[in-house]
Amino acid sequence: MEPPIVYYPRSEYIETDTGNKVSRKSVICGSQNIILGGKTIIQTECVIRGDLRRTGGGHAVVVAIGRYCLLARGSIIRPPYKTYKGIFSYYPMKIGDHVTIGEGSIVEAATIGSFVHIGKNCVIGRFAIIKDCCRIEDNTVIPPNTVVPSFSIYEGSPGVFVDELPECVQDLYESKTKDYYAKFQPKD
Amino acid sequence: MSSPSQTEIRHIRPYVHYNCSCPDVNISLESENEETFNIDSPRIQFSTFSISKLYFCNDCHQIRCPRCVQEEIVSYYCPNCLFEVPTASVKSERNRCARNCFQCPICQNTLSVLPSSEPQPPPSPISPTTVPVPTVSATGAPYYLSCGVCRWDSQEIGMTFEKATGLALQLQRTEDERPDVKEFDHLKDHFEKHMRLNTPSTALPSSLLSIPGMSSFSNRYGGMVSNNQQKSDDIVPYEAVAKVEIESGLVDDLVQLKDVNQITTLTQRINQLSDQPYKVERLQPQRIHLRTKRVKRCRSCRHILIKPEQKAQSTKFKIKLVALNNIPKISIASLPKLILNQRTQIVLKFSNPLDEEISVDLTTQEETNECGKVDILAPHFNITPYDGLWEYEEPDLIASKSRTAPNSIGIYERRGDSTSIIVEITPLSEVEEFRFPLLVTYTCKNNENDGAVTEEKTLDETSSLKATGGDSTADESTRTLSFWTVIGLGPVIKPPSGVSGTLVSGPRSEPSGSKGVTSRGSSGNSNRK
Repeated sequence: MEPPIVYYPRSEYIETDTGNKVSRKSVICGSQNIILGGKTIIQTECVIRGDLRRTGGGHAVVVAIGRYCLLARGSIIRPPYKTYKGIFSYYPMKIGDHVTIGEGSIVEAATIGSFVHIGKNCVIGRFAIIKDCCRIEDNTVIPPNTVVPSFSIYEGSPGVFVDELPECVQDLYESKTKDYYAKFQPKD
Repeated sequence: MSSPSQTEIRHIRPYVHYNCSCPDVNISLESENEETFNIDSPRIQFSTFSISKLYFCNDCHQIRCPRCVQEEIVSYYCPNCLFEVPTASVKSERNRCARNCFQCPICQNTLSVLPSSEPQPPPSPISPTTVPVPTVSATGAPYYLSCGVCRWDSQEIGMTFEKATGLALQLQRTEDERPDVKEFDHLKDHFEKHMRLNTPSTALPSSLLSIPGMSSFSNRYGGMVSNNQQKSDDIVPYEAVAKVEIESGLVDDLVQLKDVNQITTLTQRINQLSDQPYKVERLQPQRIHLRTKRVKRCRSCRHILIKPEQKAQSTKFKIKLVALNNIPKISIASLPKLILNQRTQIVLKFSNPLDEEISVDLTTQEETNECGKVDILAPHFNITPYDGLWEYEEPDLIASKSRTAPNSIGIYERRGDSTSIIVEITPLSEVEEFRFPLLVTYTCKNNENDGAVTEEKTLDETSSLKATGGDSTADESTRTLSFWTVIGLGPVIKPPSGVSGTLVSGPRSEPSGSKGVTSRGSSGNSNRK
């Protein structure tokens, strides 16, 4: 099924030079610590906590998001934290290209690779590592410190491996995210 | 638990599934193939796939599905630490990770190694086990395993480690003590001498000898019959060393069981196959199973279709012949609600992944479709090839460039490497899922394999014409392939006001109509078999 064209009110979104579309109704904290790769869409009511950064001075990238990503409505990106040797600290998060994060999902992963689909209402635990080409089904809870290897489908709470993805998933997700971006159009 | 809901979703959502004729699987039913493609056959669930799951064999020039490929293991790796395990040591490590990866015996999640010197939050009161936790410092050893999901930790069963690395090695001793492991080793020792004597010196490479029964096979057919027959009789009767004692109190305990949560669940028992304990405190953390990367071969011609890179972390493929890059991709571009006895136009989008222009012919089965009437307004059309330049151009420009002016009947749109056509649907019965078969035949110019084709043609000119099903080499510069697809369009609903519902007498309160097959249930059910 071809996805329909999604129209958004032109006044709601800011479009950057590199083609990122960021909703004015989203909460972007510490925007100087956030990198968007280009053509990434951040929808209404998203939260990105770029202000939760490693203690200590200096400029640091907290959240790096690649190209053609989609943060659907109400998703929350929060860098992971832990207490190491008695010192509480946040750690940076990296998200690859062509990543879709579904509505209402909360992500505290350490790394998310490229070509990853995360469904609706998921919770990705602290310091989880999701490798390239993965699919997290709707309503899945990935526990902290979990490694999701490439070409896996994880489902359930706690999320477990249920199936393998086909070999062409990279092309599939690439065309899907590009298609979504092309069809995410302003309307006055 | 999750699978039924998943399949249900897949049924409700519109789909385009491609049929794989599976030449090897369907040998006995060969005649059924093309003319009598039956979408109501119970086999259809197992012979149709979405295009992403299919492969394409360039040599056979046919679609290949997961059922008609052969798999060979390229490498083993641990899905948690992503360490690539050498094939030689997989067997001795019993197909599990021999480093630091364990799964929780309670919830089957990954355990993490924690030092007990670090101040820990007090154990959660909702801990599923009822065993009292011993005090942290009393055990002395500094490291233990802890589950981040259910808060189980290995101190509950008194398992601690001196070092934080190589935990599997430290556990190896207890594992080797297990009766099943001992018994297996004993069995192996017992038969190994015999196996070695019986191994033929000539026939098989040593790699094949690890396959059970292979050596006896080669004995029988290897021409060394008389000698070995005698030797195999020399085998001493085997006596079991390990005695499995039945716990005396277990049955009584189970009889008096009041709360089912006091014993282990089926999943927990199955994860600990060696003893399958009923008592929660006897559950042990298990090493994580290894995963594999596999080569996939065409069953007919043995050519490789999928060859992944050996490295565990890599997602690239050395060879990747998937259907998505080789046959036209069909997707449903627009799908209004299907209303009973009402003509509806749907749009099917065909995309061309090849470098050549292809022409497509569509046919459907008129007589066998019980769901309703399907009219293809444009049964023949062309699709222009994909052009990499489009990625860098403005979308409007592409549209204007490739949308050729003569807007023939039934063509909804030509855009880039795709053509969208209109199909008219008239549902005649109220079914949960409107499905119709579609035979797609496409022809493309074949310039890269020109040499190969002509050569083949000279070899067996006459036989190759019919032999390979849809593949005809009549014209050496073109290539034709036909395949069946099943297109599912979701439920047919009753007209909202009940105007044209001629036969409808069922409950009107359910506008969706998908579940309410009461009066017309017979026809609906027969379609879904």
